[in-house]
Amino acid sequence: MAAVTGSSISLPSHSRLLQQNQATGLRSVSLSMQRKSFPSLGLRTVPLRFHRFSCAAKPDTVEKVCEIVRKQLALPADSSVTGESKFSDLGADSLDTVEIVMGLEEEFGISVEEENAQSIATVNDAADLIDKLVAKKA
Amino acid sequence: MLSLKKRGALSMQISNFARGFFDSSSPLVPVALPSQRETHIWYIVPDEVQNTSLLNQYLKLLSSCERESMFRMSGDKLQKSSLLARTLVRTTLSRYTNCQITPRSFKFRKNTFGKPEIEWGHYEEWSPPALHFNVSHTSSLIACGVTVDKLVGVDVEEKQRKIKNDILSFARRYFSLHEVEHLHAILDPEIQRQEFIKLWTLKAYVKALGRGFSAAPFKTFTIRFRATRSDGLQVPTDLISEASEILVEAFDDPKSLSNNWQFGLLELANSHYAAICMEKENILEGKGNDFMKLKVWKTLPFVEDEYVSGTNAVKIICGLSQCLHL
Repeated sequence: MAAVTGSSISLPSHSRLLQQNQATGLRSVSLSMQRKSFPSLGLRTVPLRFHRFSCAAKPDTVEKVCEIVRKQLALPADSSVTGESKFSDLGADSLDTVEIVMGLEEEFGISVEEENAQSIATVNDAADLIDKLVAKKA
Repeated sequence: MLSLKKRGALSMQISNFARGFFDSSSPLVPVALPSQRETHIWYIVPDEVQNTSLLNQYLKLLSSCERESMFRMSGDKLQKSSLLARTLVRTTLSRYTNCQITPRSFKFRKNTFGKPEIEWGHYEEWSPPALHFNVSHTSSLIACGVTVDKLVGVDVEEKQRKIKNDILSFARRYFSLHEVEHLHAILDPEIQRQEFIKLWTLKAYVKALGRGFSAAPFKTFTIRFRATRSDGLQVPTDLISEASEILVEAFDDPKSLSNNWQFGLLELANSHYAAICMEKENILEGKGNDFMKLKVWKTLPFVEDEYVSGTNAVKIICGLSQCLHL
């Protein structure tokens, strides 16, 4: 497989991100650049704009979803699938997504409405939805 | 003005030579605009694109946004697929501007329904054509449909696509009763699977269309096929292979989708099913001979284009008629 070199790519500049940082005080990229001046307590008190820090899904659920996604997409064992993984970035097309939802319904004994299925973009989205539906059942 | 090469021993040699020694490239060959009722399809086979310098040349055509999206994909194969899809769109559209607008300079935006469309600039002495396009990909083929004035949609699926779930379980969960019955009646598992993929290709596409208008769940519309008998009468049929027309009925509004859209199904490159959908003209329907006309090219941008309509690479299943000559 041909490897495409990144040598001719210009990386997005971070200066814009740093400016926005003033308003919210919290962007995952700028955290690493401003670690020295940002007290860690601030993380919990400031309203978060990035869901990745506020995912409510149980880790068990996330793991099971990752497993089902891996199987459906026949991903190599070393490929990274985490809560933040976007289905489309993993190569899932519409048929894969529907099959994944079917697999989740079977695994968790739930039924997912199509409108809800449409809003699932990441593993975390799926895990959140599953936890909600499972809780409703109980 | 067209200088497309036909496949033959000579062109094979030239391609191999070009593939091995890739420094400069041939310019893109311009193509005449599709006429009314015509859909043009351009497709590329990723496995046949291996040359690194060619891929790097394609990379330069993408916008920085597209490059970022591409690098977010996980793994080389998906990244290459993303690269080729954008390359296919940009180079194809450029041909229809007589190459006046270079592939790199196209800008895109999403319309109200989230569908990508061209954002033309302002040109002093030239009116851009009203081009519409849509791209679809599988890991083994990427296709781009182009029309003028009418919206177009394309969806491709691998013929050999295996689904992990049992076909009938899947169908019962997501398809309409009529479609489940159609599949259930097929005894040969391989034919059943192929019919499933054909149906899915059509349904997934219609659903994508519907998303902008009414987000209809899969079960609320059904795909029916209509055949034209020898006496000219149109009758329902369960066999896709006999059908001349594809109808889509929404249960709460039986006429809505078929009134505005025309559907066709074809087999591409012996390996894929492609569903094509084009906006209908606002005139009275003809008597079933108003098929969408189709022209198909296989391409390796800057290297070789091949007009494949009328060859084995294009087999109409229903709803379309091929233009055999350019």
